[in-house]
Amino acid sequence: MTSPRLADRAQSLLRRRTRPLEPEPARLPAGEAGRAFPGLDPQWSRLVTTEVADGPRSFHVLDNGPILTARGHTVRGTIVAVHGNPTWSYLWRRVIGAATEQAARTGAGWRVVAPDQLDMGYSERLAHDAPPRPVRHGDGAEATGGYRRFAQRVEDLDAVVEALDVDRGSPLITLGHDWGGLVSLAWAVRHADSVDAVTTLNTAAHHRSEDPVPAALRAALVPGVLEASTVETTGFLDVTLSLVEGGLDPEVRAAYRAPYLTRSRRGGIGGFVADVPASADHASRPALDELAAGLAEWDVPSLIMWGPKDPVFRERYLSDLQDRLPQADLHRFETSGHMLAEDSDVAGVLLTWLDERFPGSDGPAPATEPAERRSPEPAGEVLGMHDQLERMSVENPDDPAVVDMTADGASLTWSQLAEEVDALASGLADLGVSPGDRVSLLVPPGNDLTVILYACLRVGAVAVVADAGLGLRGMTRAARSARPDWVIGAAPGLGVARTMRWPGSRISVRTMEGPAGRLLDTVASVESLRDDHRGRRPDWVPTPRPRDQAAVLFTSGSTGPAKGVVYTHERLGALVALLRRQLSVEPGSSLIAGFAPFALLGPAIGATSVTPDMSVTRPATLSAAAVADAARAGRATMLFGSPAALRNIAATADELDPAEEEHLRGVRLVLSAGAPVHPDLLDTVHGIFPDAEIHTPYGMTEGLLQADIERAEVHEAMATGQPGVCVGRPVAGVRFALAPLDAQGVPTERLVDPEEAPGTLSELVVSAAHLKAGYDRLWSTDRDSRRDDHRDLLWHRTNDVGHVDDQGRIWIQGRLQHVITTPQGPIGPGVVETPVDGLAEVVRSAAVGVGPGGAQAVVVVVEPESGVGGLRAGRTPVADPEFAARVRGASPVPVAAVLILDELPTDIRHNSKIERSRLAVWADAVLAGRRARTP
Amino acid sequence: MNGTETVPHPDDSDEVLPGARVLVTGASGLLGRSVAQRLVDLGYEVTTLQRSASGVEGAREVRGSLNDADAVAEAVSGQDVVVHMAAKVSVSGPREDYVRVNIDGTRAIFDAAEAAGVRRVLHVSSPSTAHSGSSLVGVGAGPADPENAEGNYAQTKAAAELLAEERGRTAFGGAGMDVLIIRPHLVWGPGDTQLTARIVDRSRSGRMPILGTGAPLVDTIYIDNAVDAFVAGVRRLPQIAGRRLVLTNGEPRPIGELISGFAEAGGAPRPRLRIPPAVAKVLGLVVEKLWALGEHDDEPPMTKFLAEQLSTAHWFDQRETREALDWEPEISIDEGMALLAAHVRATGSV
Repeated sequence: MTSPRLADRAQSLLRRRTRPLEPEPARLPAGEAGRAFPGLDPQWSRLVTTEVADGPRSFHVLDNGPILTARGHTVRGTIVAVHGNPTWSYLWRRVIGAATEQAARTGAGWRVVAPDQLDMGYSERLAHDAPPRPVRHGDGAEATGGYRRFAQRVEDLDAVVEALDVDRGSPLITLGHDWGGLVSLAWAVRHADSVDAVTTLNTAAHHRSEDPVPAALRAALVPGVLEASTVETTGFLDVTLSLVEGGLDPEVRAAYRAPYLTRSRRGGIGGFVADVPASADHASRPALDELAAGLAEWDVPSLIMWGPKDPVFRERYLSDLQDRLPQADLHRFETSGHMLAEDSDVAGVLLTWLDERFPGSDGPAPATEPAERRSPEPAGEVLGMHDQLERMSVENPDDPAVVDMTADGASLTWSQLAEEVDALASGLADLGVSPGDRVSLLVPPGNDLTVILYACLRVGAVAVVADAGLGLRGMTRAARSARPDWVIGAAPGLGVARTMRWPGSRISVRTMEGPAGRLLDTVASVESLRDDHRGRRPDWVPTPRPRDQAAVLFTSGSTGPAKGVVYTHERLGALVALLRRQLSVEPGSSLIAGFAPFALLGPAIGATSVTPDMSVTRPATLSAAAVADAARAGRATMLFGSPAALRNIAATADELDPAEEEHLRGVRLVLSAGAPVHPDLLDTVHGIFPDAEIHTPYGMTEGLLQADIERAEVHEAMATGQPGVCVGRPVAGVRFALAPLDAQGVPTERLVDPEEAPGTLSELVVSAAHLKAGYDRLWSTDRDSRRDDHRDLLWHRTNDVGHVDDQGRIWIQGRLQHVITTPQGPIGPGVVETPVDGLAEVVRSAAVGVGPGGAQAVVVVVEPESGVGGLRAGRTPVADPEFAARVRGASPVPVAAVLILDELPTDIRHNSKIERSRLAVWADAVLAGRRARTP
Repeated sequence: MNGTETVPHPDDSDEVLPGARVLVTGASGLLGRSVAQRLVDLGYEVTTLQRSASGVEGAREVRGSLNDADAVAEAVSGQDVVVHMAAKVSVSGPREDYVRVNIDGTRAIFDAAEAAGVRRVLHVSSPSTAHSGSSLVGVGAGPADPENAEGNYAQTKAAAELLAEERGRTAFGGAGMDVLIIRPHLVWGPGDTQLTARIVDRSRSGRMPILGTGAPLVDTIYIDNAVDAFVAGVRRLPQIAGRRLVLTNGEPRPIGELISGFAEAGGAPRPRLRIPPAVAKVLGLVVEKLWALGEHDDEPPMTKFLAEQLSTAHWFDQRETREALDWEPEISIDEGMALLAAHVRATGSV
């Protein structure tokens, strides 16, 4: 945490004779001219003097207990919150504020006690006669220089909590951050009989002495630099405060710095850094080892809140913490780092978690406890993911199972596929891939991926599918958050994994000779594992149980960082059962997988899967000829695609020759998934596949199929003139419920059945056996998505808004985050986009809101058909008045402005989800008269 | 409205109903004249106060300036409501003129009202009283701010508005009076010589620029809607006194589109002249200064104030206005443009 220049500075500072640091008693916090710090209620502050190991010491403590008592609120329990280095209890002001506010709202709340550690914040400053330096085991007492060491810190905390008269009859919780995480956890272990839960932000329970200290901290430990960066200057302090994503408000920053403005007040900062157990013989190591061991033996309810963008507490510390607290709920704030208490809603997640773990006695009891909520019955018989494959290999051994057009039509029969899967599964098991291990798959769609996936499923490994559609940064984030034990990849993918330092032992698809394999540091190859185990079956490996995790898929991240979605074997099995029923799969069924998620399910549903020749990252590259080719090679009866793929197929259909057109006649079913499709495009596609039913199912990564509609029904529905896109009716086994939106576009908490609120704009909520098992390592997100208590079912908030009409048809208007709150009420963007997309000049459009919530103006951004010129009013994004009038005429709601953009930004995966949030920012700037870069 | 019907005295009612006596100042302008005429047509007993003939049929007319104490006293006396519309509206000219009309004139009206025991005033103001040159995006009606308002007009109107609010609290020895403030933003339509005619004229001569992208969203209000809203304001004044309401059509549009629309409705070609906003601002400042040196009847072609008005967003949250006035604009921007075009075709001028 220092710059190289600091080392020079250190030398010059060292040349000066070190002056001792003077002691000073605790005092109350105050800013310039005695002003209170932002967000900090002076009533929370108190000074406490208590006897610690080396005599009486004075502490500054934030404590909302007296206020709760004075106001007559019930104390639900106590949270002991411990800050780290170089912050102070100011770090917890939002937690204290939220707890106090909750008490005011409900009459019962959590007491939060947050002491400043000695030598820190506004607590007592100790006398130091020497600069801080790491103390080794065996050094004499005089070597410490009067600086607190870890074990003493724990004892200090003990004494303060004792002096604060904490109620041991109600729940006692610890909360920590950084060094405060360790101190609080160690204190909790010591009081395991009375502590009811532990919670922490970024910290390290254990640092293996063979591991290097994180680079960011290493510099600060260099002799000389330590003192210079921590005590003599505010370098360490300022660097830490700079770790807030988006920057700190200057007043808040001043508040963090206020207790550390002079050299004599910064001894504690150096003392903490010197106490980092960088070496094996560090004097604090035994106490830290004791903590680590104690934690591992303790099955206490735990919550970890983590900011992954932390240069010090990196993923390995989180992994270690999880290994010691496997029962812990984990919530990762993907966009936050070390100072997550500042840039994330730590207080909200913590209090929600406490509500759930320690429900208050006065709140209304839920009709159904969360644990008792169930999904509806699956749509059909649920088999193991492996069973269908095995059955096919017996019943139709010589029929093709997979055909890979990216590899010149290479195919495997059902019996070959089953053999390959068995051989690889045996190999993986031999290698040490165990049930529950996570395996990240960086393999492009094709036969290899199919074999690897089913081999993983067979041995109970959890397949992590972070597809290239997330982009490199998205994939890296996904790979880190999913924490795979293994990475299986083709050469470019593995190279990326190595370069970006993704976790997991690496397995290449092909055997790598010589330097390449060494360079990528692979432990095995799929090729050799399979070849070495030919003819073997992994009979010694038990088949996975229904509730075991099977896969982690990632959302496309069009509304924030991609989320990992966990599926268990029973939930994937339910999906397979539904697909078999919905697609009427029978022997001879064969699908072209232009949409990745479905491709992988082919073997499980017993249909031949054909991977067409296209770029995975650009579904829009799927041409009509490539489809015809795939249809010929795989005798395809079904085509799965995304809207972008369908558009390109339509655009390239002219190039088909009669023979190719004939191949397409075998296709009986075309499915478009991922985003809404305009009915006109469906008609065009119908022209290409004259004998096919054309369906546009509705689903999401969290539940791939929820509703379905056929082209003719689309036309019938659209003729009713209702807003949005009709996605049909629920498929078998799916229940819908509605959370109507208020004027601010916020969905209600209480769900209603669709027939109770026909036509009401609502968030759509679904329940089905084939929905996600949960979000991965996103405790709060997961809890939010399944919070509803309605009809004893387990629900999923889709974040999609729309309505259900009086015929039971479901209509989608867009994403909840994209709702426009006009003075006339909230509307989804689809209400405007669908009719505008029907204009001849328009490829696609996006409706966004500008202005403050509740008073927003609707702006339509149009991507014109190529070759259509003159839509702009000169050199400006503003549409020509005549075209604007056409758009206004098409829109059912008033449109303030029409803007033209040559290409609307979309997600990579589907190439069809428009990034409306980015567009809204751009439109807002343009229409306010500011300079704006094209989004 | 039947003239023989018994009308409750306005002071005893929640509403100021036809039959009540209303003074409209500044009735020679389009908005003042139209409001006065509408009030007459609805059965109110209307007096107008302005220097030149108002042309309002059926109203008692008092001729005189706001600085003529006798004329003001004569006009104000015996009224139930004063609609104070008169102001010096411009973007150029010496400051003293603005102070005399906008501040001193407003004070004179309130003094006369208090002297005559008139307890209800609808004070007509401007959104520019509350804002500097920054863009306004869906904002409400904040307090007037003479220090930061831009230009003589906005500054003096801001001071006048504060004065009106002050009187609302302190008049009659602290008992206060009912003061409603309405701030219409860019009134246009047939007969509007201020905005509409100027844009049309300049477009005809090719002197109407569009600044930059022409994208900033600007709120305007069609004249007939504004008249309806003012009548609603008079009627509901007892219930909604003390409020500040910005008045617009609630249909913000890109400024370039509006200007093109006016030009086209006026039979002029669409403006093609595009000037970067920064250039226009400097140009405006220079022209403003030069113009101030000489004698001109016309407004300068571009002022810094105008440049800012034309290159930043100016649109407002209309929810409170509509709720308070219990009013919705009846004519949309597009309908208004069509009406304007028909008017120009029929009469040959705006």
